[in-house]
Amino acid sequence: MKKHWIKALTLAATAGVFMTFTGCGPSSSSDGASSSSSKKSSTLLVWEDKDKGSGIKAAAAAFGKENNVKVKIVEKEYAGQLEKLRLDGPAGTGPDVITIPGDQIGTAVTEGLLKPLTVSKATQKLYTDSAMESQIVKGKVYGLPKAVETTILYYNKKLVSEADLPKTTEEWYTFSKEQRAKGKYGLLALWDQIYYAQGVFSGYGGYIFGKDSKGNFDAKDIGLNNSGSVDAANYVSKFYKEGLFPKGIIGDKGINVLDSLFTEGKAAAVISGPWNFEPYKKAGIDYGVVELPELENGKHMGSFIGVKSYNVSSYSKNADLAEKFVKYLTNAKNSKVRYQKTSEVPAVKSLAESDLVKKDVNASAVALQSQHAELTPNITEMDQVWTPANNALQVVDTGKSTAKKALDSAVSQINSAIKAADNK
Amino acid sequence: MPQAEKKGLSHATLATILSIIPGVGQFFNRQILKGCLFLLIAILYVGGFANLFNMGFWGLFTLGTEVPRDNSIFLLAEGLIAVLVLGIGLLFYYLNLRDAYKNGEAVDNGLKPAGFVRSFKDMTENSYPYLLVSPGVLLLIFTVIFPILFSFALAFTNYNLYHTAPAHLADWVGFNTFKQIFTVDIWRSTFFDVLGWTVIWTLVASTLSIAIGIFLAIVVHQKDLKFKKFWRTVLVLPWAVPGFVTILIFAGMFNDSFGAINNVLLHSLGIKAIPWMTDANWTKVALLFIQSWLGFPYIFVVTTGVLQSIPEDLYEAALMDGATAWEKFRNITLPFILTQMAPIIITQYTFNFNNFNIIYLFNNGGPAVANSTAGGTDILVSWIYKLTMQSSQYALAAALTILLSFFVILIALIQFRRTNSFKEG
Repeated sequence: MKKHWIKALTLAATAGVFMTFTGCGPSSSSDGASSSSSKKSSTLLVWEDKDKGSGIKAAAAAFGKENNVKVKIVEKEYAGQLEKLRLDGPAGTGPDVITIPGDQIGTAVTEGLLKPLTVSKATQKLYTDSAMESQIVKGKVYGLPKAVETTILYYNKKLVSEADLPKTTEEWYTFSKEQRAKGKYGLLALWDQIYYAQGVFSGYGGYIFGKDSKGNFDAKDIGLNNSGSVDAANYVSKFYKEGLFPKGIIGDKGINVLDSLFTEGKAAAVISGPWNFEPYKKAGIDYGVVELPELENGKHMGSFIGVKSYNVSSYSKNADLAEKFVKYLTNAKNSKVRYQKTSEVPAVKSLAESDLVKKDVNASAVALQSQHAELTPNITEMDQVWTPANNALQVVDTGKSTAKKALDSAVSQINSAIKAADNK
Repeated sequence: MPQAEKKGLSHATLATILSIIPGVGQFFNRQILKGCLFLLIAILYVGGFANLFNMGFWGLFTLGTEVPRDNSIFLLAEGLIAVLVLGIGLLFYYLNLRDAYKNGEAVDNGLKPAGFVRSFKDMTENSYPYLLVSPGVLLLIFTVIFPILFSFALAFTNYNLYHTAPAHLADWVGFNTFKQIFTVDIWRSTFFDVLGWTVIWTLVASTLSIAIGIFLAIVVHQKDLKFKKFWRTVLVLPWAVPGFVTILIFAGMFNDSFGAINNVLLHSLGIKAIPWMTDANWTKVALLFIQSWLGFPYIFVVTTGVLQSIPEDLYEAALMDGATAWEKFRNITLPFILTQMAPIIITQYTFNFNNFNIIYLFNNGGPAVANSTAGGTDILVSWIYKLTMQSSQYALAAALTILLSFFVILIALIQFRRTNSFKEG
């Protein structure tokens, strides 16, 4: 009987500990925050994109001298910076300024990772419209654009000369057929993925998210199964069904196959992004780049524009200075220096139209195509679009479903995924 | 114990009650040094962890009350650590009470409680195994038990993109997420599709590699086979190459238009190109083939070992009785292999149930199939991975993980219980 005492006492102790502590918690609410913000740290930590640190080194040094602050630049792959900020931010070792892709901004704002900035209308006018638009969520500015990129057409000068270059997708269609007869490929593109196929979709009147009267993306208005989208999907699938695009470039591994077909000289042209400037050159291909062709209905092929931007972390203890630094980095003068060092196409309007950029073949192709490009929707609902949309395109391209049916199903999936993700 | 039934409180009971403050009961038992040690540990414990308990339990119950100060996920982690630390503390507390009682009982029986050196010696002698494993167990608690508890707890919160720090707090939602898996259309239909293929995949892929491995081991074991070492080396080679390299190479070889399988192998046989990567059924066939390739060498090696240990006289006796080769295999070889290898065979099944690498690396769960949010060859783990990475559905992923472990544990338990290998310990 006495043995039970021991257990009873242990249990009582458990209950005691729980009762003592569950009611308490942190002693006062804003103590920690205010004490740390009063200790202004004298360094500004900046996360810059991989291999792009050279572009802002000089500007950082100049800014540091002017404001009596040490600016430390750390290079990290820009698409993964937000992921790292989620852990480093709360730990107090996070950066003040980060570089992220524009389509992550909606998510970052929803999570509260970015600090809104006060940017005057005049400053906003400095940048190309779509680049600036990518930084605005629900009317607030969360960063300033650093560079833009969009897909362009690479062609192998050995296989097709600049003079003979087909101007429309229909001409490319015919050209590709001729090439297939010779056992080679004409134009290749990853049109089983919405990121690339969107260029055709937009030309036919398809869209992912419509916009409301204020110019914000409206997640309730999905245009992926309207008649334009169906036409576009049918047009795209023609290239697959007639064997102009091999089945081997469909799916997740397709991008590797496409790249190697081009670098082995088996394909005359491919649609890809600025990230391939270097790799294709290293593969020894004498290539040229131009903007994307026109569609058969006379509309210019669209594309998604990707914006890289500088943003201020909401964990920054030096937010005002960080904001100042972001504005300083993205002004016309520093954008020019950065362009010269990194050859990333700048988002500053006057610079994009200057001779400096126009003389650069690669940059001017990107700049020209950007005029027909549209912003990757920066709302969080976009996360739910990629997989269903890509799946739909893939089943249409492999002939497993009709375009209308596949796109209808994709839209209903996107709708229910948005609804399911939005559980409050 | 007649002596203990005295009137009033026995010494043992008194000591136990006094030990409510650790160490005092030991003082009462005249074990001064031990009492000091216990008291010191208790003071250090309370002093050192008071803050952790304060924040931890408060956080565990509320998951934070104020943004941006509170981060629900960090609070949850802190709370679980607090629970574990408390658990360890209570174990110590229990031991302290028991110690006081035991020694008090000795006093009641007219004995003198052991001195400090004696008790220490007793401990190292009687509790030696516990002493040895305790650092390992402690490590295990924080590196294995804690993550499991953490993901388990996540499943009962609403942690997703819209409940993420620093802008938002997460909350406890009970079984809501589980309910959603079976009520929200896109998840429900997908879940059962994916589960179906996962089960088929597990059964077929594991059985194939086990069957091939055992078959080849028996063939190579035949007495009249020459160059045994050569054959063994060759057959182990697929195991020597890192799995992910093999998978990526196969992914290239199975490419619909440019892969060697379609262009060289099937072409030379006069078979038309097969859509390995764009037709879900063919992708499944390819995956089963690759997993057999990757999985059989291990079984082959283990079976070879088992075969060496079968006594030769069994076969001689069988020969005298006029048994055929099949009868010998059926009644001698197979029972030997199966009983000795049961644990290994079972782990093959549980491994394939969660074989993320091959599914993800070969075709990323693809190809796409109409009307499904998962790819045609996605198994549960790869689907969970996609959910978490693409749409930040952390709570959902955690809930699915629980369901998944439930299946694996259930299957493993049933199989383990049915085999004899663990009973003869």
